[in-house]
Amino acid sequence: MSRKYIFPINRVEGDLEIQVELKDGIITEAWSAGTMYRGFENIMKGRSPMDGLVITPRVCGICSTAHLKAAAKALDMAYNIVIPDTAKMIRNITMGVEMLQNDVRQAVLLFMCDFANPYYKDFPLFKEAVSRYEPLKGSSALQTLVESAAIIEITAVIGGQWPHSSFMVPGGVVSSPSINDINQCTYLLNRYRKWYEKQILGCRLERWAEVKNNLDLDKWLEESHLHADSDLGFFIRFSKKAGLDKIGKGHGNFICFGSFDMPENTDIKSLNKGPKYLPAGFSQHTRIQALQEESIFEDSTCSWFKTDDRPLHPFEGLTIPYATGGEGKKYSWAKAPRYQGLPAETGPLAQMIIAENPLFTNLVSSKGPDVFSRELARIVRPAIIIPVLDKWIKEIARNMENFCRTYQEKESGKGFGLIEAPRGALGHWIHFKNEKIENYQIITPSAWNGSPRDLNGVRGPWEQALVGTSIQDTDNPVEAGHIIRSFDPCLVCTVHAI
Amino acid sequence: MKIICEKCGFTMNLDKSRIPEKGAKGKCPKCRHIFTIKNPGTGVSDNANKSQKTLYWLQGGGCGGDTWAFFNSEPPETSELINDLNIRLLWHPSISNHSIAAQNKLNNDLLSGKQALDILCIEGSIIRGPGGTGMFDTLLGKPKKDIAASLANKASYVLAVGTCASFGGIGADGEIEATGMQFQKWTPGGFMGENFKTKSGLPIINLPGCPCHGGVISGAIAALVSGIPLKLNQYNIPLEWYGTLVHQGCTRNEYHEYRVEEKKIGEKGCLFFYLGCHGPLVYGPCNKMLWNRRSSKTRVGVPCFGCTRPDFPQQYPFFKTRNIEGIPIELPDGVNRAHYLAYKGIAAAAAPERLKKRKTGI
Ligand code: SF4
Ligand code: SF4
Repeated sequence: MSRKYIFPINRVEGDLEIQVELKDGIITEAWSAGTMYRGFENIMKGRSPMDGLVITPRVCGICSTAHLKAAAKALDMAYNIVIPDTAKMIRNITMGVEMLQNDVRQAVLLFMCDFANPYYKDFPLFKEAVSRYEPLKGSSALQTLVESAAIIEITAVIGGQWPHSSFMVPGGVVSSPSINDINQCTYLLNRYRKWYEKQILGCRLERWAEVKNNLDLDKWLEESHLHADSDLGFFIRFSKKAGLDKIGKGHGNFICFGSFDMPENTDIKSLNKGPKYLPAGFSQHTRIQALQEESIFEDSTCSWFKTDDRPLHPFEGLTIPYATGGEGKKYSWAKAPRYQGLPAETGPLAQMIIAENPLFTNLVSSKGPDVFSRELARIVRPAIIIPVLDKWIKEIARNMENFCRTYQEKESGKGFGLIEAPRGALGHWIHFKNEKIENYQIITPSAWNGSPRDLNGVRGPWEQALVGTSIQDTDNPVEAGHIIRSFDPCLVCTVHAI
Repeated sequence: MKIICEKCGFTMNLDKSRIPEKGAKGKCPKCRHIFTIKNPGTGVSDNANKSQKTLYWLQGGGCGGDTWAFFNSEPPETSELINDLNIRLLWHPSISNHSIAAQNKLNNDLLSGKQALDILCIEGSIIRGPGGTGMFDTLLGKPKKDIAASLANKASYVLAVGTCASFGGIGADGEIEATGMQFQKWTPGGFMGENFKTKSGLPIINLPGCPCHGGVISGAIAALVSGIPLKLNQYNIPLEWYGTLVHQGCTRNEYHEYRVEEKKIGEKGCLFFYLGCHGPLVYGPCNKMLWNRRSSKTRVGVPCFGCTRPDFPQQYPFFKTRNIEGIPIELPDGVNRAHYLAYKGIAAAAAPERLKKRKTGI
């Protein structure tokens, strides 16, 4: 007999409830419900176009730089400005350090924290897990609190504070860092790098870069006790024993809006020689295609909003809560974004797939996405971006003059900003008339990942990933927690923004 | 765990497992005083150690920004604050790892009074919409606002952390009918009503800011735990952190003094006359305590948006100063308009070249 359960999920930034149907202990159906509405898009209506730079970072307390960047890029487009290289680098660096703080916080404080859950008390690695990840006490947890707060100081040096500054503006950035500021940034990044190499990776970034497939991964783990004892090593050992490489499969569709706009003058080469260091794209398993903004739509058939008879492009998007119609079908405050009509997962794993990273392409093409590959991509993402940020910090010092280009303000305009937030694809769409916002729509990464069903009844990515999972104890559904948290869900973004 | 000698204050570390359930007699290695060492207990509802203060963090209609500002504050770093002050963190939605069952038991124990609650921190606004139902923000199908009310009734102290929890903040003018715990913008009352007092006899203490500065959050928690009284102003805000204007300590003060103004973003200068800086209008510690131990918005050239003020976010545009013929409508708090204008005119005429030519490097 099947029974329904509701699992409230914490440590996900915001409020999430998962409803599941269990038959013989196996999830046969799943519904993901964001349980809060904060109405940002309607708050934006009628305000001055620049106000997006102040209001939208307040959508989310852990990725406020990402919202600021998307808002600033949408205005760059509306005002038709190309920003100077220095400003590109500053935007990239501050966006990058938001990822650096997020990735270790998410991995250690939010994800691996579950390894210390009493569910695993008879598991051979449990004692070690507790000594590492117990909240506010575990050795790795304590270090992560300190180091993640330290790396984000870079954003304060350049942008005044984190979270919630508004230092990016159309045309560039407001700040003009001094040589001393740049030196401080270099020092902070070096400090983080040393800690990350020692504690999280257990090896130099260069050694990790040699891991190109599943076999290399096994070899790396056995090569040294430093590898096996690092947080990454522990993650691999624990996950394989607990079978995390067998659960949380999902649709296998990936979307990435691309990250880090390439400066014209830099020694860094983007991963696909394109205009962004991490390329934009959409893929079904590992078949990749270029991204087209016109193919993004939002469906609200199952969301508590007025529903049009078809999915809408964000420029036409509507946000009318609790309108009548469609009763019985609606169950979430998140809308359902679709690309060419398909659901897609987004985040570090999607970034790696679209960038054709050999290790993750190998993992996903041999077994499909799962909890293990998704979380692994997040834990090792700093290894990929640290060297690039380091280079840009140094290159800024070449030209410290121009951080903001002047431009002609316009009364009316339209623009969008598509970027990669720490959790994946984030888009802002702005349309203003007579210096007042007509429509503002935001699609967040967790809207992609945690979307409800669409008009065809197709499940969102993490709903799909839950189906087929066996749950041992409905009072403590750790398996569901692993699957959901492997997507690094951020419900404050998703539901608050819609 | 840490054992503190009740006589001389000497601190030592002792393995919890070595203390029997009933406690044990111990001798201080420093002053030789003999006293009882209590077992801190383990279970969620265990109340053995009365001196240990409990803290519960509830998130309502917010973005989580105050949580991350808190986790970024240092010193004391969050774990030091909690561990060294011997606080028992009953629940924080971003770091606790209870099972659903343990969490339900904790909530029941809190509501039945079996579990004492010393400090309740509320982050985010109280969402009352649509139409007063609170159904825009629910937990297991019930409005979150009801949970906030029941917990506030049980707690000795309530801290409204951030502008949303204090005054309504984002959404206070909109369809979600957001309000602060005891104020709706400037008006006393809010969600719990003007006359509400927590068990300690104090009203809800407001710690505004969007987000609230992390050092203010840990400072307020430390004060409550240590029994240090906080002096409050008419908005129930502690003067300790909100007694000075944001403007005080800004590195652009000299520009302000001589009215050397930034007209276009990035020009350098004071941001008050053209770019909407609220530094001289609102109270907060941003330029005194600095953010992330480093800087502040106004220091790098971002205007202060007045995020600690009960009317944040303002209804008129940011990045622009509302003015009449070039003179700001709102002048620094408390100044006489005519005197201020005369003084600014003379100051501008007296401005030295090194400032006018932006030779200061700031
Ligand atoms: S006051 Fe600001 S930082 Fe705090 S919850 Fe509200 S929007 Fe977020
Ligand atoms: S920029 Fe703002 S805070 Fe700084 S001196 Fe000018 S008015 Fe004061």
